[in-house]
Amino acid sequence: MFTESRQRSFLDTAVLSRLSGFPLYARRPMQGTVSGRHPSPHRGSSIEFAEYRKYVPGDDPRRIDWRAYGRSDRHFVKEFEADTNLRLCLVVDTSGSMDYGSKGTTKLEYARKIAAALGYLAIQQGDAVGLACMARGIVRDIPPRRNPSHLMNVFDVLEGIVPSGPSQIPDVLHELAETLSQRALVVIVSDLFIEPELLSSGFQHLRFRKHDVAVFHLLDPQELAFDFRRPMRFLDMEGGPALFADPSEIAERYHASLERYLSGLKQVLLESAVDYHKVAIDEDYEQVLVRFLIGRTRTRGVR
Amino acid sequence: MSFLEPIMLAALPLASLPFIIHLINQRRYQTVRWGAMMFLLEANRMYRGYARLRQILIMVMRILAIAALIFAISRPLAGGWLGVAAGGKADATIVILDRSPSMRDAPAGRERGKLDTAVARLIPTLETLGSTRYVLIDSDTRSPRPFEKPADLARMPEVGPSSASADLPALLQAAYDYVTTNQLGRTELWILSDLRENDWNSDSGRWRALREAFAQRGQAVRFHLLAYTEGDPENLRLRVQSVRRRKAGDGSELLVSIKVERDRATEGKRAVPVQFEIEGARSQATLELEGTASELKDHAIPLEKGRDRGWGRVAIPADSNPADNEYYFTFEKAPTRRTVVVSDDPVGTRPLALAASISPDPGVVLESEVIPPAQLASVDWSTLSLLVWSAPVPEGETARLIEAFLGRGGTAIFLPPAGGEGGAFLGVKYGPWSDRPGEIAVESWRGDEDLLAASQSGRSLPVGELVVKRYRTLTGEFTPLASLKGGAALLARPATAAGAAYFLATTPTPSDSTLGSGGVVLYVLVQRAIEQGARAQGGARQLVAGVGAVDSSEWNRIAGGNDALSTDFRNQAGVYGAGDLLYAVNRSLPEDSTRLIADSRLSELFQGLDFSRVDEQAGRLGSLIEEIWRMFLVSMIGAMTAEAVLCLPNRARPARGAAA
Repeated sequence: MFTESRQRSFLDTAVLSRLSGFPLYARRPMQGTVSGRHPSPHRGSSIEFAEYRKYVPGDDPRRIDWRAYGRSDRHFVKEFEADTNLRLCLVVDTSGSMDYGSKGTTKLEYARKIAAALGYLAIQQGDAVGLACMARGIVRDIPPRRNPSHLMNVFDVLEGIVPSGPSQIPDVLHELAETLSQRALVVIVSDLFIEPELLSSGFQHLRFRKHDVAVFHLLDPQELAFDFRRPMRFLDMEGGPALFADPSEIAERYHASLERYLSGLKQVLLESAVDYHKVAIDEDYEQVLVRFLIGRTRTRGVR
Repeated sequence: MSFLEPIMLAALPLASLPFIIHLINQRRYQTVRWGAMMFLLEANRMYRGYARLRQILIMVMRILAIAALIFAISRPLAGGWLGVAAGGKADATIVILDRSPSMRDAPAGRERGKLDTAVARLIPTLETLGSTRYVLIDSDTRSPRPFEKPADLARMPEVGPSSASADLPALLQAAYDYVTTNQLGRTELWILSDLRENDWNSDSGRWRALREAFAQRGQAVRFHLLAYTEGDPENLRLRVQSVRRRKAGDGSELLVSIKVERDRATEGKRAVPVQFEIEGARSQATLELEGTASELKDHAIPLEKGRDRGWGRVAIPADSNPADNEYYFTFEKAPTRRTVVVSDDPVGTRPLALAASISPDPGVVLESEVIPPAQLASVDWSTLSLLVWSAPVPEGETARLIEAFLGRGGTAIFLPPAGGEGGAFLGVKYGPWSDRPGEIAVESWRGDEDLLAASQSGRSLPVGELVVKRYRTLTGEFTPLASLKGGAALLARPATAAGAAYFLATTPTPSDSTLGSGGVVLYVLVQRAIEQGARAQGGARQLVAGVGAVDSSEWNRIAGGNDALSTDFRNQAGVYGAGDLLYAVNRSLPEDSTRLIADSRLSELFQGLDFSRVDEQAGRLGSLIEEIWRMFLVSMIGAMTAEAVLCLPNRARPARGAAA
């Protein structure tokens, strides 16, 4: 598939080959342009029977089911389900906070791996892949295409991302909902450092547009544990004011705040039917993706 | 609050260590780029109110714990004695003890008197404070007496009650002498007294000298006054005014006059039972006490036949101060009271001789003779009551004879010699005759005591009617009993260890004054002088406790005297016998005065000195100060416990569960 032998840090061919055994399914019918392996809301020419319908003038007489005519003395047309491809829209958070990583790898690097692997899997099964990089807004946008060479463009953009600025996720979600013309699988890879209540309307908007939304919520282990020992001066990676604090004095309240945020976010995403995956970036991303793919296999969308 | 180891307080700044460590920790911060600022900001907003208060409390508890530890090892003392022991152990502790009768007072029905209480309170205090050496100076002996440890103080006979008045200036002088003689370093001087003016003599010129002497030693001597000023105004004081023996029919009887006083009058009369004891035989009478004082005049007590001499005791029921409820006296058939007038001018001194020979009491026989100075050797001094000296100022052997006579308790009146300057006798010297013409009136005289005192009914003597035409100026150290206009002394009394000497500035001759022609004043003056001198005559004598250089080591106790040592009998009220002599010892008259030294005056006496005072009450026991380091240790433990409790986490960290 790769036409050039360029090594990319976020691609591990061994992982990709192992993941290629898992299909990437959408949880709801997609509207693709070509035939694929995903259910379509329309009738088509697959081998899966859908229903009988009365013959009306204009229908192809070859589609009349003569056995049914023999049993009922009426003309019926036999219809089959349509299979189509999906449009995978990868949304990667490139705000300043994604550059944080306490265990040797940053959240952005982790996001690159997940996005690249999913893009690879989608292209491999004939789906279209697009990429949107969001920070203050959508800073880079590659529309979905199913051409394998298009994947190189996606990888190039992923490789060239420079994290900076604050994240305006709610605005980006609304913009995506408006700009994605057809149903798509929207995969958001972000730390989502924003009040859950503000995210709610964006996800509801995507759901209204019948997009299948999945979220990889990346969190650094240090952000979860917050076990600093000495007084620290915290510099905001998204350009906000610095804060001096003694972790021993405020750790308790930090954890309380984090817990409140996580439960609130979970509630919002549940209400918006978002496929939510909280990921600590010291986890193996292959396992994360396997869980994601298997989960989608179980909940494969009905027509 | 004061401390036994104040040097340890220098470590007090260590209490700020927790705060300093906190500041250092704040300085040792690291900078980190952080993404999850929204949680930090929210946590920081929440870190207010109780959480911040808790952190402050933790800090305060840590500081308190260290401070309490430092205070504990500084050995703090509880009590009102500011700065009592700053600087650690004293080189010497001198206890000045006022043992006067008023210190036996136990007002408001308390069990223990002021003296007992003061000693009991002082002992544990001294044990707490510690000292290299301890010295007691009591008001009777007035000499420093070292003792090993504070507990020994309770067993020393020198801390018992006495009937003698105290002389605080003399006691402080003894203390100063001891301090200078022994070259003492830091000295703690404790004064235990009830602040009676009679004992303190605040008008004495010795105070100024003492204050300056102690001030020169700087802060090396520190004064602590334990003042027991509380008094009982209902306390009754008994005093025998006079005791006379007279013939009554075949036998004789005693006429005893007593006076009972108190400070506060109550409504109506109060019957005070008075018990008389004559040679062990007791009788009782009742005195109707009205107002603040009442007298029982000439209460007659018949004597057994042949009883020419003896002793007696008068007592009233016990009240707050047992020391003034008894009075002792002796009596005897009055001996002939002899007066010798030594003069070269028998005519001029005739009024004196006459006044000395007319007895005011039929039971008392008076004799007087006029002799020239040359016959002085023939005088029987042992039977002499009064010596009137109208000759050149005595010198040499003559002077020694007269001084010995005074030392035995005799009385002498000196008249100005006709001519010559002469030398000084007893520190008093006659100047030249006055050359002011005309008559000079008497301007002032002491009507409250001594020879010119008012009569018992309160009438003053007609001293003001006297006219002086010539007089000789008196110079030297003396107490003027009467002064002429212009300030010259008419009658002066120099200080003598025993007996009494009086110097008249004029003579009774008509050319010099109306003393002889006026009659009454001269007669009273001479009779009182004879009475005074006669006290030292005969075998029954009245003594004032602590006054006069009397050796009591050979005395035998007959009545009273408690458990005092024989050497101390002269300071204890009672009746004592020594050979043919009978001595009745009682407290002094000024001791009955309850006037206290004013606070402002007391402050003046110790002005410029390191002086602290605490007012105490009789009956209050326990140490004046207590070590309270335990309290601080408990405080420290409390602070550490509180700090530990405050540091306990409220609950398990929830975010770890969320991360899992």
